[in-house]
Amino acid sequence: MNKVNNNSEDILKIENIEVMYDSVISALHDVSLSVPRGKIVALLGGNGAGKSTTLKAISTMLASERGKVTKGKITYDGTIISNQNPTEMVGLGMVQVLEGRRCFGHLTVEENIITGAYSRKLTNSEMKNELEKIYSYFNRLKDRRKSQAGFTSGGEQQMLAVARAMMAKPKMLLLDEPSMGLAPQLVAEIFKIVKELNTKEGVSILLAEQNTNIALRNSDYGYIIETGNVMLKGTAEELLDNDEVKELYLGISKEGRKNFRDVLREEGNSKEIKSLSKTTNS
Amino acid sequence: MTEFLFFIEVVVAGLLAGTMYSLVALGFVLIYKASSTFNFAQGAMVFFAVLAFVGFMELGLPFFVAFIVTILLMGLVGYCTERMVLKPLMNQSEDTLLMATIGLGFVLEGLAQAAWGVEVRRLDLGIGDFPIQWIIDTFGLFVSALDLTAGLVAAFLIIGLSLLFKYTKMGLGLRAVADDPGAASSIGIPLNNIMLLVWTAAGVVALVAGMMWGARAGVQFALVDLALKALPVLIIGGFSSIPGAIIGGLIIGASEKVLEVYIGPYFGGAIEGWAPYVLAIFFLLYRPEGLFGEKIIRRV
Repeated sequence: MNKVNNNSEDILKIENIEVMYDSVISALHDVSLSVPRGKIVALLGGNGAGKSTTLKAISTMLASERGKVTKGKITYDGTIISNQNPTEMVGLGMVQVLEGRRCFGHLTVEENIITGAYSRKLTNSEMKNELEKIYSYFNRLKDRRKSQAGFTSGGEQQMLAVARAMMAKPKMLLLDEPSMGLAPQLVAEIFKIVKELNTKEGVSILLAEQNTNIALRNSDYGYIIETGNVMLKGTAEELLDNDEVKELYLGISKEGRKNFRDVLREEGNSKEIKSLSKTTNS
Repeated sequence: MTEFLFFIEVVVAGLLAGTMYSLVALGFVLIYKASSTFNFAQGAMVFFAVLAFVGFMELGLPFFVAFIVTILLMGLVGYCTERMVLKPLMNQSEDTLLMATIGLGFVLEGLAQAAWGVEVRRLDLGIGDFPIQWIIDTFGLFVSALDLTAGLVAAFLIIGLSLLFKYTKMGLGLRAVADDPGAASSIGIPLNNIMLLVWTAAGVVALVAGMMWGARAGVQFALVDLALKALPVLIIGGFSSIPGAIIGGLIIGASEKVLEVYIGPYFGGAIEGWAPYVLAIFFLLYRPEGLFGEKIIRRV
């Protein structure tokens, strides 16, 4: 492993990476980003933009999907990431929470949390303390500790996935779409906990999200990627204030919120609206 | 009264023979839990393990040493399997893995015969296949000493493995991998260590099962096919359940003996061979996950 400057301000630095699946399908063309130590960075973009691929390139989970970083360099906490496997990355303090939560359905909630500490050697009393600490962030999970994880709600499973990852005592957490398929109140609750983990435990966080609004409101920096390229980057405030972001990702134009009919009319497609309504009437 | 005693005797003999099926089925369950594949090489592993054991005994090693050496050898087989078969095929479909285990079976059968020859060996465990006098005197039942030993050994192994999976860190890791290997590796559970553990455990179980079968019927190639009897056992007990493997084995053992004795004559006998499969078909129709198989959890 090549040791570089360990005290650099960025815990993670990605420089111009390109990723290919099966050596032919190119998923990322040129992505560069950095995560300052102790900050939250949001990676934004639509479906298929390359958010998950970027995260998996960092956590080295790509290999298990026959993907490969073909160009560029990823430096995490002074270590250049090349041939490491996910187990080694967890050892270095980097844990990914996969898209779709992926809890162990047949294990209980508490067993799920305990599996997160697999890479650490803990005595029984240390384990107890760690569990108590985790439950202090995730109150809901404490009530469900004896339930089979497969039977808990989507929100509980998302919390469980984050709680499980936190048991590995990570320096850096990669979150892939924590808001997926959840009700707005739950999304808000989860982001509140993530923010708390960031401030109290000092975990640096890189999160991939489609929900631009809530992600930027809880982050320090943001990157917007599309079809495997970084399109826009800046502090969270800058991005929330940017007209393009407002229009394309937040659905707010300079003249205020627009609905679909307004957009079509502006583009001179009003005829099609009429013909559409005809077919529905007949 | 003697009618009834005879019935009990048939059931007991069946149950004890069933523990042998349980043992073989246990090996299947272990690997199924970890890699969700039906390990067609399990029969070959039984054959390979016990042939190796007899081979070591013939070299003059004492019983206990030969046993330990064979366990180490099965660990090595597990290690090689993990390195040369499972790792390269990681993330391939379950069908691919299934085909690979068939191939692995041929390799093990070939290796065993190349190393130790093809003739039938005798394995003497020092336990005879004859009734125990004490049980005849007390209960009036004829129970074979070998059957009884097999039953006790199987029970011991099953309790041990269940405790291992329920209460140890490795066991927790194994259950996590069984549920979702991708998620397990994302939180730092080393998949290769878990696979090595599972294949070694399956190797030990194969050795013990092979010793019990071999002591009765001789150590021979037919042991490979005996392992197929584990299929109805697994269908009844559930592929992913250790208690299921043991109960399934007992049900198959007892029912095939009872059916053979009481219904067999109407079919001209020898229904032992296929009766378990008929039972398995009924289970497939009405309870496909088996008695103890983990139900497919699907949140609606």
